[in-house]
Amino acid sequence: MAVSADAAAPAAAADAEVEKARRATQRAPGEPRNVAWLYILPGLAFYLLFTLAPLAHTVELSLFDWDGLTPGRYIGFANYREAFSDPLVRESFRHSAELIVFYALIPVVLGLLLTALLTRHPVRGFTFYRTALFLPQMLAGVVVAQAWVWIYASDGPLNELLRTIGLGSLARPWLGDFSWALPAIGGIGTWVTYGLCMVLFIAGAQNIPTSLYDAARVDGAGPLREFFAVTLPGLKNEIVVAFVLTTINALRSFDLIYNTNQGGPGTTTYVPSLYMYQNAFVYNRVGYAAAIAVILAATIFALAFLVIYLTGRGEER
Amino acid sequence: MSLVSRVRVTVQDRDQGRRPVGGKNLVNDPVLGRVLSLAGTHGAVEEVKTGDADDVSPDAALVKARLIIPLDPYIKAYGWDDWYSDSTWSIFRWTDDGKTFGQGPKWGVAQTGQNVAVFANTEKLKALGYDPANMPTTFDDFNAMLADIRQKLPKNEPVIQFGNNEGYGTIHMYGGIQAAYVDPQSVRDWIQHVPGSSYDTPENIQALKTYQEWASNGYFNSDYNAKKYDQSAADFGKGQGVFWMGGDWDSSIIKAGLGDNVMVMNIPPGASGTWASIGATSGPWHISAKTKYPDVAAAWLDYVIASPEAQKLMYAQQQIPAIAGAETPSGDPYLGQVAAAWQQVAGDDGLMLYTDWASPTMYNTLASHFQNLLAGKESPEDMAKAVQADWEKFDKTLK
Repeated sequence: MAVSADAAAPAAAADAEVEKARRATQRAPGEPRNVAWLYILPGLAFYLLFTLAPLAHTVELSLFDWDGLTPGRYIGFANYREAFSDPLVRESFRHSAELIVFYALIPVVLGLLLTALLTRHPVRGFTFYRTALFLPQMLAGVVVAQAWVWIYASDGPLNELLRTIGLGSLARPWLGDFSWALPAIGGIGTWVTYGLCMVLFIAGAQNIPTSLYDAARVDGAGPLREFFAVTLPGLKNEIVVAFVLTTINALRSFDLIYNTNQGGPGTTTYVPSLYMYQNAFVYNRVGYAAAIAVILAATIFALAFLVIYLTGRGEER
Repeated sequence: MSLVSRVRVTVQDRDQGRRPVGGKNLVNDPVLGRVLSLAGTHGAVEEVKTGDADDVSPDAALVKARLIIPLDPYIKAYGWDDWYSDSTWSIFRWTDDGKTFGQGPKWGVAQTGQNVAVFANTEKLKALGYDPANMPTTFDDFNAMLADIRQKLPKNEPVIQFGNNEGYGTIHMYGGIQAAYVDPQSVRDWIQHVPGSSYDTPENIQALKTYQEWASNGYFNSDYNAKKYDQSAADFGKGQGVFWMGGDWDSSIIKAGLGDNVMVMNIPPGASGTWASIGATSGPWHISAKTKYPDVAAAWLDYVIASPEAQKLMYAQQQIPAIAGAETPSGDPYLGQVAAAWQQVAGDDGLMLYTDWASPTMYNTLASHFQNLLAGKESPEDMAKAVQADWEKFDKTLK
């Protein structure tokens, strides 16, 4: 027995070797070949070089006291401690939260409304409306900001309109008003993003089988019922995508604020990205700016995952 | 550094003064381009660096990082001492470590003067019963004049046209008031972090109170926080407001609108009698530490700042040569007033520099607290404390 056991052990080992070799060269049916890495490589290299590496570098910088010119000094988490106790950082994030309403919530609701209007019946000039409503999304932020500075000016079109229709008491220098400056900038954000939501939803609505609408109509559903029973559930994935994209836009909004108010009046329109920019390029506090950037990025990640988790999109995967 | 010597640069202006002085345009000039490329194999830009136009803090960084060289040997060789008064020279001085402003070697020289002055619409003044040739010569009289004009004007018409969307309009506007209450030297000391300096002084709080009153008395257009600085100059040119208080670099915008119906003066002095205002020079020019030909670069600076040709080019752009004893512009009385206002302040050691230079964060601190002050959301005392706190935070890093 001892002999046979001794003989069997090497044999089993050899079998294992053969099996290992077979596994190495042969794959289970449908398993991708290693050559796939070659296809991914160019994209991956770019991603590593221009996204992940800068991200890692930013995290590294956030641990330093660095003015951007002379050698930096390692200070551990001091930048983070300062950021969490900096009232302006907190105020900036509060403003960002308010902007999410304007950049994400309102555009999604508006987009759904327009989708319901534009898809229920054939609309003459559908393509024109779709293009026109999407246009703001394609304009450069600087252009948009300049146009709205003019629209919001005290003798600009918005105030002229209010005066014409007898609401002159509401007319005000919108961007110069302590209470209205942030909502006014939020309004620009709404104007820029709702077109994106609408296009996403219209595309999604076209994938909803018409049989569902027919069934709903046979059952006597009105436009409202039809929207909530068929369109809304059918657009679930698109709504999640729209929410994630627009929330990210809201949190990292910079161009509109930089080109309209730069944080003023007072500190009423400060947002994290503006404060980060000022620290990096005006105050020469690159490390502190990097810490704010990392906190901002972490917030964006957390919120995006939260949206996906809450809407249950993760489970479908 | 190479052996210091004077090098003569002769440059002919082919276009008779139509080209901007300073900045990159001259570097593209075929003649100058050749002169400058003789100076360095890397081309002209390597030889002479200019700081940011409205911010002196890059200078500290350039000094600290040893990217530029001190100009003192050239100042001696060329006799540039007479160009500026001591208070103006202090703009270009930093200690070798880039920490102490206003002392140490001189690292730069600048072409044009920047003076925040009072521009007045003479047509409106006459209609209100004032003689533009006989304006107030004390701040109190000027202040009383503003109150009187407020009474006479329709309520929706501003006394002073004001644009503060970017936040520096208010820093400039306040400079005029501060000049009347606070000794200019103490303002410079505060900016340059001379120990013991403070923003939180009774005189300065009095000035802040006066400024707040200007707002609560309704001297400004109500949309000043929404209006850009240059836009306010343009609107003043369109006849909105009796006064515009701002930088003389916008004088051409105003002239384009008002033509001959405009006069320029400095804000009249307070009790001290010193003609003072907020202002400085244009962004300083420096010589790169990397150049092999600093002598040639210095010759270029001598030419571009003080030569009659350069002065002519500055005037052609409605800019004011900064150097003392600059020629007066011929055939342009308005520009003559702008130049005289600069020489008056610079010559009286009244140039206060820009208060936002006091710390890297001071610009935004001043901008937001001034907006709160003018809106009545913050008291002068609280603002003075908050601004001084910013100053002290930075002051600690200099020790």
